Amino acid sequence: MRAKSILTLCDGPTCIYKNSRAIRDALETELKNQGLSDEVGIHISGCLGMCSKGPILIVNPGYTIYGGVTVQDIPEIVQEHLVRRRPVARLAVQEDHLYNRFFRIFGDVDFFGRQMRIALRNCGIIDPEKIDDYLSVRGYEALAKVLTAMSPREVIDEVKKSGLRGRGGAGFPTGLKWEFTARETGNEKYVICNADEGDPGAFMDRSAIEGDPHTVLEGIIIGGYAIGAAKGIVYIRAEYPLAIQRLEKAIAAARENGLLGKRILGSDFSFDMEIRLGAGAFVCGEETALIHSIEGRRGMPTPRPPYPSVKGLFGKPTLINNVETWANIPVIMLDGGEWFSTVGTETSKGTKVFALAGKVHNTGLIEVPMGTTLREIIYDIGGGIPNGKKFKAVQTGGPSGGCLPEEYLDTQIDYESLAAAGSIMGSGGMIVIDEDSCMVNLAKFFLEFTQDESCGKCTPCRGGTKRMLEILTRITEGNGKEGDIEKLERLGQMIKKASLCGLGQSAPNPVLSTLKNFRHEYEEHIFQKKCRAGICSALVTYEITEKCIGCGACRRVCPVNAISGKRQERHAINQETCIKCGQCFTTCKFDAIVKA
Amino acid sequence: MVTPLDIIKKKRAEAVARIIGRGYLSTKRVYVGMATCEIAAGSKEVMEVFRQSIAKGGLKDVYLSQKGCAGRCNLEPTVEIVEEGKIPVKYGKVTPERARQIIERHLKNNEVIEEWLI
Ligand SMILES: Cc1cc2nc3c(=O)[nH]c(=O)nc-3n(C[C@H](O)[C@H](O)[C@H](O)COP(=O)(O)O)c2cc1C
Ligand code: SF4
Ligand code: SF4
Repeated sequence: MRAKSILTLCDGPTCIYKNSRAIRDALETELKNQGLSDEVGIHISGCLGMCSKGPILIVNPGYTIYGGVTVQDIPEIVQEHLVRRRPVARLAVQEDHLYNRFFRIFGDVDFFGRQMRIALRNCGIIDPEKIDDYLSVRGYEALAKVLTAMSPREVIDEVKKSGLRGRGGAGFPTGLKWEFTARETGNEKYVICNADEGDPGAFMDRSAIEGDPHTVLEGIIIGGYAIGAAKGIVYIRAEYPLAIQRLEKAIAAARENGLLGKRILGSDFSFDMEIRLGAGAFVCGEETALIHSIEGRRGMPTPRPPYPSVKGLFGKPTLINNVETWANIPVIMLDGGEWFSTVGTETSKGTKVFALAGKVHNTGLIEVPMGTTLREIIYDIGGGIPNGKKFKAVQTGGPSGGCLPEEYLDTQIDYESLAAAGSIMGSGGMIVIDEDSCMVNLAKFFLEFTQDESCGKCTPCRGGTKRMLEILTRITEGNGKEGDIEKLERLGQMIKKASLCGLGQSAPNPVLSTLKNFRHEYEEHIFQKKCRAGICSALVTYEITEKCIGCGACRRVCPVNAISGKRQERHAINQETCIKCGQCFTTCKFDAIVKA
Repeated sequence: MVTPLDIIKKKRAEAVARIIGRGYLSTKRVYVGMATCEIAAGSKEVMEVFRQSIAKGGLKDVYLSQKGCAGRCNLEPTVEIVEEGKIPVKYGKVTPERARQIIERHLKNNEVIEEWLI
């Protein structure tokens, strides 16, 4: 049975010090005594960033926060709140923070109970097309605070203090990037928001813009103030018409309200913004290629240094950050960099948005604190694997990332931990794979994508990925040869080392990581001509078992007349003529046809 | 001197007043998910059912608004109903037909349709 309420207990150092472990024990005992153990789930969370009010206990649905909880309070909370459904006012704390502020959870605690919403705090809550809605939830207050009371230096220090790192993939410390751009002299600088989002299947940035465009704008304007730029550009792919329309509307409303344009909110700071549409090439998400594309040149990467912070758009210092990175900025300004840095792990602060897809019950967009484990995401939030299938792997980082098998499920979400496990954080794609998928075929899918998207500038990326793809294709078609695995590894390493941009440098990752973690599947394909998932059709054979009652349905459906047999007698497939289309397999009503 | 912070606080107060003017304090508030994903799942038609019902006067004291994607992709379109003093509810996989029933049963007759809740 699924939990009806979820209690989140903070397990940060301060709360542990203040006795949260004893509180957990008391809770478990009390729930058992009341017979509620099945209905109420206890979730232990990393630091929730409310240390001064600890120990913290949050009850969902409803998002009631209890602070300063003692072991003696537990029976009362359980009796009043969980049994009689009356929150205990005496212990409830009112937090005037921005994150999770309007976090109404409804009955949906399994999905939302373990999330923490900073970047997506307003998504799905306010009307994204009305600036009034955004203003009413302290919108543009961060900008006003910055313009009223903070110097550009102080803004940058706050971002540095927060520990925020770029959410576009590389994870570069945001504050440092701002500092590098700010210290360049010259009065013409640019700020860019990277909303190219080219990973297949990714939609984090699109949803963030569609759900709350003003947050992104506010972040960008603050960035402009911090580095001394007067102009911002949002680079967004043309395939996102609704996001573009909402951005346009938001920019117009911000202008009308004096939040963009000359002398913003009566201050000395002037800043304006425009939208540039990308044609959707994956490589145009790479920052140097993106900049060339805005300049009207071909979207091809160029070597760094010089970094955009020194010589970017039109040769001027340019600050470029990802949509999600920008969306964190207003919260950092209002709730403080110090608070932000209490969320997450040693090296990775705050939260990360993921597009959870593939073979999980709850697919969707989630935002979790760094340090959450893959297991918690897949099984607690995602609800596990449907149809009783077995988990096989989780793919993170899209075409630049890797596949992690079961042994890695307890890996924490964190730039370093994911890299150490052999994948990457990436921009937030997360695909769950079950036993029905073939890892060789999956690697081939990603390589097809990068091969196709390679801009062709460097030979290793252009030619090398093509060679790799040829080898993979032949393996999946049953023509793999001894030595192919080693060849793939050599080529992969070479492409990684010799390519100019991140596309080429990371293109071999899906292949290399599956070679590392699922080598046996490659070996089966090559030496036993077998695809255990039954995906690579050339390696599949169909056979008719004794379950066959001789109805003849398969015989009639077979396009090449490979099936023979008398009525009411067991049929047989002629393997020579069979083209492995699988139609007989899906047609048979008696499960008499098996794939091997 | 008037600071940016003073200006924004004034703007917020005005925004809140306008939102209330649009009927926010109505006894029931209905939010329909309208992002690319929700629209692809059919939320525009659902929105239209609510809009029509209000326009024709069948539904009174209801504040209707759109919202972005909350992340519940496999259960879209979603519709949330917030009522003062009650635990808010969220319906998943709402079709125009379900929307009509939600209007009749939930909004007009205060019946929460349990089997469609997320
Ligand atoms: C092939 C390739 C594609 C990329 N695509 C994106 C993208 O779609 N969105 C994005 O924000 N960053 C993308 N990046 C990363 C950008 O180059 C850059 O690091 C990022 O925009 C910096 O912002 P951040 O520090 O906020 O992450 C891509 C990089 C490469 C190599
Ligand atoms: S690595 Fe590939 S995508 Fe990047 S510049 Fe070279 S050819 Fe182009
Ligand atoms: S797999 Fe296709 S070709 Fe082979 S026996 Fe079945 S129906 Fe015929």
